[in-house]
Amino acid sequence: MPSSPYGYHGAYLRIQLSSKSAQRVVLQENALRSFVGGSGLGTYLLLREQVATADPLAEQAALVFVFSPLVGSPLTTSAKFAVVCKSPLTDRLNDSLASSGFAIAGKRTGFDAVVVTGRLDQLSVLTIDNGEVDFHAAADLAGLQCDETEQLLRTRFGDEWRVASIGPAGERGVHFATVSHDGRHAARGGTGAVLGSKNIKAILVRGTQRTEWAHPTELVKLSKSLSQRSFGPATAKYRELGTASNLLVFNRLRALPTRNFQQGSFSGVEHLAPETLSTTRNRTRAYCDACTIGCEHIYALRDSQSDNDPGVRLEYENLFALGPLCGINHAETVLQASRRCDELGIDTISTGGTIAFAMECVEKGMLEASWLRFGEPKALLQAIELIGARRDLGSLMSLGSRQMAKQIGQNSIEFAPQVKGLEIPGYEPRALQTMALGFAVGTRGADHNRSGAYEVDFSGKVDRRGAGPESAIAAVDTENRAAVMDSLILCKFLRGVFDDFYAEAAEMLNLVTGWDTTAAELELTAERIVAAKKIFNVRAGWKPDEDCLPARFLQEELGDDSKARLTSEQLASLVTAYNQARGWSDEGFVESEQLLRLGLDTI
Amino acid sequence: MRVRVELFGIPRHRIGVPYVMVCLDSETARLCDVLWDVARQFPSFAEECMVEDRVQVGISVNLDGNQFVNDPETVISAGQSLLIMSADAGG
Repeated sequence: MPSSPYGYHGAYLRIQLSSKSAQRVVLQENALRSFVGGSGLGTYLLLREQVATADPLAEQAALVFVFSPLVGSPLTTSAKFAVVCKSPLTDRLNDSLASSGFAIAGKRTGFDAVVVTGRLDQLSVLTIDNGEVDFHAAADLAGLQCDETEQLLRTRFGDEWRVASIGPAGERGVHFATVSHDGRHAARGGTGAVLGSKNIKAILVRGTQRTEWAHPTELVKLSKSLSQRSFGPATAKYRELGTASNLLVFNRLRALPTRNFQQGSFSGVEHLAPETLSTTRNRTRAYCDACTIGCEHIYALRDSQSDNDPGVRLEYENLFALGPLCGINHAETVLQASRRCDELGIDTISTGGTIAFAMECVEKGMLEASWLRFGEPKALLQAIELIGARRDLGSLMSLGSRQMAKQIGQNSIEFAPQVKGLEIPGYEPRALQTMALGFAVGTRGADHNRSGAYEVDFSGKVDRRGAGPESAIAAVDTENRAAVMDSLILCKFLRGVFDDFYAEAAEMLNLVTGWDTTAAELELTAERIVAAKKIFNVRAGWKPDEDCLPARFLQEELGDDSKARLTSEQLASLVTAYNQARGWSDEGFVESEQLLRLGLDTI
Repeated sequence: MRVRVELFGIPRHRIGVPYVMVCLDSETARLCDVLWDVARQFPSFAEECMVEDRVQVGISVNLDGNQFVNDPETVISAGQSLLIMSADAGG
């Protein structure tokens, strides 16, 4: 048996940039079993770094790349990594995930995680070669796009390296800049700004150190079964249509955020729907490494000047945020805007949300920028360029809608589309009220990946426009499941294939690690991870009134659906019920009894 | 009675039309009667989207954009719209 648990290296790499030093730090088995990997282990490591009160862009701030025990296994969708840090957008904990080859190569460097702290004195590239760390000056990469950076570095260093990089937006400190890898992004919360603040343009990884599995024969058998199930009806939407097929459904249910959440449906929606796009332009499909679903649907740009143009990956979130949210019904513009966000390295949801907010401010006479109007394709593209450059109005928009509203004043914060500073994804809170609760209590702000509460709104188990106490239990359940999936790490698009998620997840973990984890233990692990995130936030200054939604959602009925109303009293009641369901204080503090029960009393 | 059945996501992809009109000789009908009439008009719907009297895993049904319904005995009235869609709303 290896000295560390099967599936793990039992150590993380801690890199102190200011002194250009690195050390191997042992991870005790108890910590691994308690936090698993991914988001959970990243939260644990960030708590250990004691950076909750630090400015997210300060030298002492830390950024953690975390792999997981399942990375490198044959389990479908397991090639994922988490990037965990304190967010410059929210000043709270932020855990973003991405796929795919970087996770496999990163784990082969011989570590379960890489903690980066300090700051280099010039723009550089960091290489981790089988555990050996090196720093390379990279002034020549300044201003390069994410895709250009990755391509150039693989040419320069070798094709076997895997690259996580930032674009010009990350270098310039845009608060919602991403960390990019292979065209995918750890997108939310400004991970790219944190890496950029450390003067790191890219991290390159390669290695040969594999971890062993405790029960390889049984693991391969289970992996085959899971892959087989991933070809079934529960994932058909993702395989055949992609997430963009949400668009027409949400529009029909008046749950599609439109014109900065002033309406729940959009008159030009059919122009943007994948059902239309797939008949009028070429579409291809792509897969992450180690994935059998293949959810990525890539559409051709009409105006491309190149025969080799890779096209644009279209997801529901970039479609909604750069389309209806900004009143844009011109498909080519939305595709170009998505492409440009990817190149600059900025989160499409926060980009669309912030621009839509600015458009409404202009409409209301609060902001002087007459060119920035809802429905103007050129205005959208120009605003994206300004954000990426942090120039003119882009300098203000690069801070996100909450900071922008604070500077504009005039009560504009009431319609800034954010929770805790993170822009709201494509789920209208008044029309999907269990999701509204998930947004309000989310530790990283308004988020559809850490809380899958929309599942409940779409199930018939609750009244989606009249949430009651049952929504609180459902919000806890979906958040807990997400915490485990984000720590194992498995793609959420698999969730429909499980009959008994915790039991099956425990089996996977046990076959890799040799542990005897039970479903009940994993449920407790989920609670622990969610509570640990909350502890970080409390240390960072969290207050109960943050668990709320902007006044717009609590004072105005949805423009085109009078049944979609949510009051502040109703939301407050839901938040209290959520806190009670978690066993926290009514206000949302994790009390000593729970800390003991979850083993968090000494963290 | 006439019921408008709107299709989204995989059901629309399978059948190839955005909606189907169902006409039944009664003032009300059960959900399963409406589903079977869609299947009569489009046999691929039964093969790809139904299991016995219900829609299969991965597909859900909504009434008039308001209430999600699962029970095949659910009463559908004339003039109502049935929305059949991919169940998973993840983006």
